Amino acid sequence: MIGYLTTIMTLVSIAVLIAMALNVQWGMCGMVNFGLSGFVALGAYTTAILMLNGTGVFMAVAAAIVICSVMGALLSLISLRLSDDYLAIVTLGFGEVIRLITLNEDWLTGGALGLPGIPRPLVDYIGTDHYEKFYLAVCVLVVLLIFIGLELATRAPFGRALRAIRDDEVVAASLGKNVLLMRVKAFAIGGGITGIAGSLQAFQFSYIDPSQFSAIMTVYAFMAVIAGGRGSHSGLILGACSIMVLLEATRFLKDVVNILDNSQIAAIRLILIGGGLILLLIYRPQGLIREYRATAPAAPKNVPHDRKE
Amino acid sequence: MGQLIINGLGTGLIIALPAMALSLTFGILRFPNFAIGAMLTMAAYMAWSFNTILGMSLILAAALTILLFPLVALICDRTVFKPLRTRGPVTLLVASMGLSFVLENICRLFYGNDARSFDIPLARPYRVMGLRINYELLVTAGVSISAMAMVYVILQHTSLGRAMRAVADNPNLAAARGIDAGWVIGATWCLSGMLIAASGVLIGMDRAIDPQLGWNYIIVCFAAAILGGLGSPVGAVIGALTLGIVGELATLIVDPNYRSAIAFLVVALVLLVRPTGLLGRREIVK
Repeated sequence: MIGYLTTIMTLVSIAVLIAMALNVQWGMCGMVNFGLSGFVALGAYTTAILMLNGTGVFMAVAAAIVICSVMGALLSLISLRLSDDYLAIVTLGFGEVIRLITLNEDWLTGGALGLPGIPRPLVDYIGTDHYEKFYLAVCVLVVLLIFIGLELATRAPFGRALRAIRDDEVVAASLGKNVLLMRVKAFAIGGGITGIAGSLQAFQFSYIDPSQFSAIMTVYAFMAVIAGGRGSHSGLILGACSIMVLLEATRFLKDVVNILDNSQIAAIRLILIGGGLILLLIYRPQGLIREYRATAPAAPKNVPHDRKE
Repeated sequence: MGQLIINGLGTGLIIALPAMALSLTFGILRFPNFAIGAMLTMAAYMAWSFNTILGMSLILAAALTILLFPLVALICDRTVFKPLRTRGPVTLLVASMGLSFVLENICRLFYGNDARSFDIPLARPYRVMGLRINYELLVTAGVSISAMAMVYVILQHTSLGRAMRAVADNPNLAAARGIDAGWVIGATWCLSGMLIAASGVLIGMDRAIDPQLGWNYIIVCFAAAILGGLGSPVGAVIGALTLGIVGELATLIVDPNYRSAIAFLVVALVLLVRPTGLLGRREIVK
């Protein structure tokens, strides 16, 4: 049971990272990314291939971050001159291209069989007995660091400018903000975070294959961001955890309902994900926790109103 | 070479229908409907059920699907898109992704992951000047071209078509002239539902039916609609035919597995050079 919980919590941390990336791109700056799973795959495969060729952990992770953020910058640069609709299809197409490459380029990615035997960092020092717990601690630490970084960025002028662009880009532009540059930056930052998530995913099972990076990953991230409240990083963590708990609970449906087989249970889970996404959009668009807003100090209370007298 | 062009035309004619549907709904509702892939899958399964479970002939099954599928499209609109209509295109777009998950997995829940195919006899391909032309291609061409003609006539020569074009052009002005937007939206979904149903059946004839069926077409469909200029049904047809032929010819140099990657590359290039697509108009942003 402890083992199961450790694994689930590690997976939740990685999912939270992916959702955070989306929160920077979509939550804070209003740019849709339907290719999230492609970005994570790109990061994971970069790390895995470098590690298998004997590169150090630091270099492998750094390369994943750089490649993913450069890719994010490029994609947003192509499509952001146009409208959001094009960004959606360009990112979706990017995800598909990455999926095709991971499936078909056997010499590089191992094709459908994937890449086994990715060396896990520090495994010689920690030992295999407690490695899962150590790895969970690493993941949680990474989430925490990025969370703090994003909270700081949100409260900094950069974050305010991003949200201004999201809410009304014409106003932001007329106030002298370079809208295109800011958006490309936000997309690149999001891309970098997906790179980290990909690296963590590659080390988690020390094995990756294309099926780990399906569109479910993307939809799950959207759900976490919406459930938590667009733009709110703490809400997102809460959202991602509660959704994971709900989804994990459906695993036990099998014990209660005997007439359904495994693939039907899987289908029901996915229906719940999709349906939940729609219901959240309709009934709770503001999410669990509202995003941070700089508010003006409240008006002093003891000023007498003329009318009351 | 000639064979490749013919195959490409076949693929293009199949994609043209959902690409047109996409363009129609985009024109009226101003959001790209990502659920179009899952809708194709559902239509194919619907026709398959009529054809093999109820034992109808494929023509009857297809006709019934084309009649009934608009209902599915309308239900989707009422339950998912209507409550979100005032929230802006990005919200609708995300919702359509959620809807696509729901529809695809409803199919998976009832039909499982196994590939199915229609109960139709295999026919020998015709040979014309050394080129193989199979029976399915002729059916595809017939259905697709008549559907295009129907859409064109409806848009250009009926009062419904005029209302649709008016709403697409300027919703406020259309409302001021007394055009009922709700009615136009309903009619648009019905029309795209019929197009999706027809192409779902055609795709099902072309390849096996499985829950991933629509997913394989979604990028190409979007590529076609964008290539022609989102919101322009005629452009969508031209885009679809171009992509069909380019995709087929590209297999001369690239692995056929990368077909949807090629569609994506073509679109990325077109967006760089001509951001409004081939026939799209530049929108005036206030």
